[in-house]
Amino acid sequence: MTVAQAYYDASQQALIASGDWHADSAVSPLSTEAARILDGAGISQLDTNGAWLLLTAANWTTGKPMPELRAFKPEQVALLELVARHSGPTAIQPSPVREGGLGLIGRGTLAAIGHVVGLVDFIGRLFVELIGLAARPGLWRWREFSTQLNAVFVGAISIVVGMLFLLGVVFAYLLGSQAQQYGASIFVVDGLLLSILREISPVIVAVLVAGRTGAAITAQIGTMKVTEEIDAITTLGLSPIAVLVVPRVLALLIALPLLVFVGDVAGILGGMLVTHQQLDISYYMFMDRVADVLNLKTLLVGIYKAPVFAIFIVLIACRMGLSVNRDARSVGEHTTSTVVQSLVAIIVLNAIFAVMFVRLGI
Amino acid sequence: MTETVIDVRDVSITLGGQPIHRNLSMSVARGEVIALIGGSGTGKSVLLREIIGLLKPQSGQIELLGQSVLDCSETQMNLLRRRIGVLFQDGALFSSLNVEDNVATPLFEHTRLPHANCRQLARLKLDMVGLEAEAARKHPSQLSGGMRKRVALARAIALDPEVLFLDEPTSGLDPISARTFDVLIRLLADSLGLTVFLVTHDLDTLFSIIDRVIVLSDARVLGSGTVEELKRIDDPWLREYFSARALGGEIAYGN
Repeated sequence: MTVAQAYYDASQQALIASGDWHADSAVSPLSTEAARILDGAGISQLDTNGAWLLLTAANWTTGKPMPELRAFKPEQVALLELVARHSGPTAIQPSPVREGGLGLIGRGTLAAIGHVVGLVDFIGRLFVELIGLAARPGLWRWREFSTQLNAVFVGAISIVVGMLFLLGVVFAYLLGSQAQQYGASIFVVDGLLLSILREISPVIVAVLVAGRTGAAITAQIGTMKVTEEIDAITTLGLSPIAVLVVPRVLALLIALPLLVFVGDVAGILGGMLVTHQQLDISYYMFMDRVADVLNLKTLLVGIYKAPVFAIFIVLIACRMGLSVNRDARSVGEHTTSTVVQSLVAIIVLNAIFAVMFVRLGI
Repeated sequence: MTETVIDVRDVSITLGGQPIHRNLSMSVARGEVIALIGGSGTGKSVLLREIIGLLKPQSGQIELLGQSVLDCSETQMNLLRRRIGVLFQDGALFSSLNVEDNVATPLFEHTRLPHANCRQLARLKLDMVGLEAEAARKHPSQLSGGMRKRVALARAIALDPEVLFLDEPTSGLDPISARTFDVLIRLLADSLGLTVFLVTHDLDTLFSIIDRVIVLSDARVLGSGTVEELKRIDDPWLREYFSARALGGEIAYGN
C-alpha cells in the first residue's frame, strides 16, 4: 500500500497525483484555481471514492469542464468520467434549527391533544365494529380471545402474586411498627385491608399490566403494521379491529379484575405473615379480624376500578399499535408512548375515583 | 492463474433437521461476475450467508479473500467485512436514518473523512444508482421498494468493496431500472475489478452481464459455466428454467 500523494505544479497548472487513492486518502483542494491537467502516472490504485477525492483535490466542481487527464490507464479514465458524470451539485442542506422551550411545550401540547382526539376517534370506530359484530356473532374470534386471555391472565399471575405479596409485607411491617407503639396492633389488619384492597392492588396490577401487556400489544400490532400483515387482513375482507382489537379488549376486561383479586389475596397473605412474626397476631386471630372488618364494599371498590383501567390500557395500546409508521424506530416510540399514556391514565383515573368515592360516601 | 476470492470446499449444513448443503464446493475468481441460481429452497441465500460469515456450516471450509471465514476471530472478520459489500433481499436499510446517512454510514464508521465529504460521496453513490437528489433527505419508509433497493446498493458500494454480494438485486424493479442496474453492476465490476456474487432469478440478468452461472440443486452444485454450457446439461429443472424465457419471448412477440 502506498500513501496517496498529490502536488500542484503551477507552471503547467497540473495536479500530479500518485499512490493508492481510496476513501482513506483525505486530501483537501491543493490549488486555489482549478487544475487544467490531471496527471495520474503515479497512481497505483483508484476506486470511485478515490476518484472523487482526486477531482476534489484538483478543485473540480460540477458543471466545469473536466481537467485534461494525462497518463491514466483507460479503466481509470472511465472511472473518473463515471464519477464526474454522477457528481451532482452537492449543497449540503443545513440541519433543522433546534426549537426553544416554548416550541417544545407547544409541540407536546399538540401531541397530547392529538392522543386524546385519536383515542376518542378509535373508541368510535371500535363501537361501530362492535355493533357489526353483535349483529353477526359468528364473526367473534373465540380462539384469539382465549389465546389472549391465556397470555394476559395466566402469564401474569406469578408476577402479580410476587409483587403484591411483597407489598403486603412492607405495608404490614410499616403499619405494625407504628401501631405497636400505641398497643393497637390488631388495627394493622384494618389498615392493611383498606389500603391493599382499595388502592394498592388495583393500581399496582394495572401498572404491571400496562407495562407487560400494553407494551406487548403495541409492539405486536406495530410490527404487524410494518410487515404489512394489517394490510393483508384488510385485503382479505376482514377488519383489523374485529380480528385484533376486540379479542384483546375483552381479554383484558376480564383478566384485570381477576388479577386484582389474585393480588388482593397475595397482599393479605404477605401482611398476615408479617403480623404473625412481628406483632404476634396468630393466623386465626388475623382471619377473625378480617371477617369482622372486611365488608364486600371495600373489596368491590377495588375490583370495580379494574375494568376501567383495563379499557384505557388496551385502547391506548391498540390505537398506538395501529398508528405505527412503517419503520423500526416508530415501533419503539409508540411502545414507549403506550406505557407512558397508560400510566398517566391509571393515575388520573385513580385520583378521579378517590374523589368520587369520597363525595358519594362510599 | 487468477486469484481465487471465494473458495467453498465440502460445506455441509443442516437447518431445522433438513440438509441444505451436502459437501458443496465452488469457487469464484477475482473479477468474475457470478450468478447463483436454483429452485426455491435450494439454499442460495444460505450459501451467501455462510460466505459472509452470518451462518456457520457444520463442516467444510470457506475462504473469502484468502482468509478462512470459519476460523478467524471477530476482529479479523470485521476487517474482512470492510472489504465486502452486501445487498440484502429487502434492502435492510436503517429505518431511523435518512437515505443519505444510510449510504454514508459505512464511510462514517470506517474512514477518517469529514462527515460533509462522506455525505457528498454518499450523494455520488446515490446518483450512480440512479436516484434523484430529492430522495437523499427522505427516510426509507417514504421510498418505494425499487428505490429502497437502489439505496441499499449505494450503501453496499459505499466503501468500494472488492467483492459485492447481491441477494436478488433486480427483483422488485421495473424492467428498465433492472437493466440499468445490471449495466451499472457490470460497469462497476469492470472499472473496479470488482467481483460480484449474485443470487438471482432474473434471466435477463443472466443473459446480459454474467460471466458464469452456478446452479444449486439437491443440496449440491449441479453445474457451473456460461449460460450456453448450462443449456447442454440434461436436468429437468434447468430445462424448464430456460424454456420459461423462450415461452415468455414467444408470447411477447405474438402480441
